Amino acid sequence: MRSETFKAALISALLFLLAIGAWHLATLPKESAALAGADAEYAALMGAGAQQPGGFPPPAEVGRAFVHYLSDPFYDHGPNDKGIAIQLGHSLARVALGFLLAIVAAIPLGFVIGMSPLLTKALDPFIQVLKPISPLAWMPLALYTLKDSNVSGIFVIFICSIWPMLINTAFGVASVRRDWLNVARTLEVSPVRKAFLVILPAAAPTILTGMRISMGIAWLVIVAAEMLVGGTGIGYFVWNEWNNLALPNVIFAITMIGLVGMGLDAIFGRLQKLVTYRE
Amino acid sequence: MALHDPFDPHHSLTHCSCGRHGSQAEHDAALAQDDADALNRRVVQGAVMRALFPQDAERRRFLSAVGASTAWAAISSLVPFGALEAMAQEKGSLEKKELKIGFIPITCASPLIMADPLGFYKKQGLDVSVIKTAGWALIRDKVINKEYDASHMLAPMPIAMSMGVGSAPTPVNVATIQNVNGQAITLHVKHKDKRDPKQWKGFKFAVPFEYSMHNFLLRYYVAEHGLDPDKDIQIRVVPPPEMVANLRAGNLDGYLGPDPFNQRAVYDGVGFIHILSKEIWDGHPCCSFGVQTQFVKENPNTFAALYRAVLQAAAMANDPKNRPIMAEVLSPANYLNQPKTVIEQVLTGKFADGLGGVQTVPDRAGFDPFPWYSMAVWIITQMKRWGYIKGDVKYRDIAEQVYLLTDARKRMAEVGLVAPKDAYQKFKVMGKEFDPAKPEAYVGSFAIRRT
Amino acid sequence: MSQHFLQVESLAKCYPAAGATANLPVFENIHFHIDKGEFVCIIGHSGCGKTTILNVLAGLEEATSGNVFMDGREVKGPSLDRGVVFQSHALMPWMSVLGNVAFAVRSKWPDWPKDKVAAHCTQYLEMVGLGHAIHKKPAELSGGMKQRVGIARAFAIQPKMLLLDEPFGALDALTRGTIQDELLKIVQATHQTVFMITHDVDEAILLADKIVLMSNGPLARIAEIVAVTMPRDRARAEMHHDPQYYRIRNHLVDFLVNRSKTYAGVPRDDDALHPPVVRPGLEDAANPVITPIDHLHRRAA
Repeated sequence: MRSETFKAALISALLFLLAIGAWHLATLPKESAALAGADAEYAALMGAGAQQPGGFPPPAEVGRAFVHYLSDPFYDHGPNDKGIAIQLGHSLARVALGFLLAIVAAIPLGFVIGMSPLLTKALDPFIQVLKPISPLAWMPLALYTLKDSNVSGIFVIFICSIWPMLINTAFGVASVRRDWLNVARTLEVSPVRKAFLVILPAAAPTILTGMRISMGIAWLVIVAAEMLVGGTGIGYFVWNEWNNLALPNVIFAITMIGLVGMGLDAIFGRLQKLVTYRE
Repeated sequence: MALHDPFDPHHSLTHCSCGRHGSQAEHDAALAQDDADALNRRVVQGAVMRALFPQDAERRRFLSAVGASTAWAAISSLVPFGALEAMAQEKGSLEKKELKIGFIPITCASPLIMADPLGFYKKQGLDVSVIKTAGWALIRDKVINKEYDASHMLAPMPIAMSMGVGSAPTPVNVATIQNVNGQAITLHVKHKDKRDPKQWKGFKFAVPFEYSMHNFLLRYYVAEHGLDPDKDIQIRVVPPPEMVANLRAGNLDGYLGPDPFNQRAVYDGVGFIHILSKEIWDGHPCCSFGVQTQFVKENPNTFAALYRAVLQAAAMANDPKNRPIMAEVLSPANYLNQPKTVIEQVLTGKFADGLGGVQTVPDRAGFDPFPWYSMAVWIITQMKRWGYIKGDVKYRDIAEQVYLLTDARKRMAEVGLVAPKDAYQKFKVMGKEFDPAKPEAYVGSFAIRRT
Repeated sequence: MSQHFLQVESLAKCYPAAGATANLPVFENIHFHIDKGEFVCIIGHSGCGKTTILNVLAGLEEATSGNVFMDGREVKGPSLDRGVVFQSHALMPWMSVLGNVAFAVRSKWPDWPKDKVAAHCTQYLEMVGLGHAIHKKPAELSGGMKQRVGIARAFAIQPKMLLLDEPFGALDALTRGTIQDELLKIVQATHQTVFMITHDVDEAILLADKIVLMSNGPLARIAEIVAVTMPRDRARAEMHHDPQYYRIRNHLVDFLVNRSKTYAGVPRDDDALHPPVVRPGLEDAANPVITPIDHLHRRAA
């Protein structure tokens, strides 16, 4: 078992090195023929991009971007230029707020829907229509009505997080084993006690699965939303570096987005394990 | 912050400057008893030094190398410290001190950005955040939502917004013109042999916004060469920062866009500069400094202070000898986030054209702030010409309502700038004279039009 | 009106029709009664409505018509007066063994302090021989141990009556025997009134005072009530030495194998209010004597 883990790690490391190596070879600077004839003054005014028509940065350059941003993650050079940790903090704060609001709305509503087959049927058409709408499509509407870009960003997170949670909560609640409910009934358990001590723990694994899906979507969406609205956040960082066509920085940001996303997923995986019961 | 002597190489600009206090706040409290003049001077100097040397280590190295007094002299020749300090002492009763100003990361925004590191806003008692914004539609929405108190806008935007074209009618004023000229038509390098617009049939062009000078100038230009901009070419709206990426990807054949994205396309080897916009209309306005009319009415003193700061910044930016330093200050990520050499080429007018040549056009970009009514009238004629507005148009009424020419005169006088005496002037666009007194006839004189 | 502890009167159940034709009732005209301290088993083939009857007694289901009275009051909905042991044990897998029992105990006595609840639960878990496993999760227990927890949970609320829905159906023969013994011991000690469904003829003979035989559904009815006339202090190991045992057993098997299906569609020729009570243990199996139910009681007394 242990040697298996070790082997897997070794293979992962090898694959990583192989990918970096291939990338390095593919981006080795080529002999510049295009500007051979041009005068030195003209060449000085041209960027590196002109010599590298492919334009993709070599790994060493990306590595420098990593070192540069990670060596000082908390700097603050005015409202439009902040360290990577601050940017990620803004994004995470937005996601957390939108996500919490979604929990507050989705879990009780999911409970009600899951308990009542009538409501399930009545609300189903609305959920089915609203669910597939891309969260970003709400953005113009949100900006117009909420009149605040930050609140709109949070709203977009809210609206994209709510569906998986709502649907999973309703499903989890509806499929609580009849036997457990019967036990509660024969014991004359009050509705509140039943909700918290029987239905909630019984549906918790399903609800947590919904939350995990929601968090994944929310983290995908926040980047896009911030690219659209700007201001702060990791999405804004990507957008700002895209303006500058600074691909090493964009690659750095992409990696950070991936790592944070992985971390968030791991947290919810842990939580899921915590509430999952073996029968 | 930064109330210590910014010319002292031994102190960091980001900590308590004298070392005797636990924090800068305590330090400030102790300093409050100091001579107010000295305090003022240091505010100004500190702001300028921070602008010139965003990296603290560089500032110290520079000061250690040349000595504080030499540095002071060198920088004083660039920046009118005396005038700035005088301004700082004049304190009106400001209705609102903390302001948010939006900008799009293009060189057109230079004056309102430069006013921040140079301390022009602080000098007026204002605490301004200049906030980078992703696109013009967002600028419009944020101004309407009052998230921004004032903003960098395209010159036609306040007219369109006030008339309710493309949004709910919201009265917006143009305080100043941000910049003149400074745009260009950039084409993809694969079109190096297609310099005659008649060869552009089927081309896909981008402009930053529908209600932009870029749109109107591009339409004017191709129409003068016999192409109908609505039928022979495609014009789509692309936010300026995304133009180069789209040109590289082949989504666009070219664009009439703001700098530095024309120069950036050259720098990245994906495009060349076909013509500068000054070759279409020399002295055309591009962007403006827009404020909601409601804000002007509710905050007259704040607005006046803001006005003075922006006018001073414009005067500073318009002076060619300040341009290299501006390139330095504007290039970091907080502002334009572009290589310094790209911005320098735009601002100094000595640039690679992408065709192998180096051109020198000192007036490639200008920052004349005066909001001529005649500019507004021309914009409205083009809106009429291309069908953005229909029916009878009161050209002069709209122009005089939206463009604050009288205010501009007054504020310019306050900061020692000379304003033109006229409110209307005739000018030529591609050799064809525009008479602001006869706008309707002007619209009718074009062969290609939507009226 | 009723002198019996539990009185079931003209119970019938009809499920809603799926198609156009109205469904036949699963059962109808069910009358029987249970006295305090009595252990009654009900036997019948699947589909005769045994579980439905139990659920009606528990208050979990409503009959289409008829009434149930317990202790002089009509049964309407579930109540802590009736403990239920479910076929599938129905333990909450996220609670410990103790937690499952404590959940029930706290429902009955919400004001009890924590340690009193724990002591009470532990007492009942020790009674079923699970004193060592109170902190385990149900998933860590064998099937038999789980069912013991279910029994402890039902006993712990000290109900007036216990309803067991085929509690040992899923267990292997060895485990089943052990738990049957335990249940027998507890019931004898507590004089608990019990109604239990079973498919196991031996189990019924071991535990019951009366065995209600159901004919096949639909339109199931109580065919007979078999009185188990063997002495009350039975033990599984010696039971088969009693000659009564085989007579009762043969009677039950004969009913299940041959006679249970003959009732379908045949109009009732006896009194539904007083189904025939047979005592195969006392009589020659070929010639059973049918005694009205009241006589039986007099005799037992």
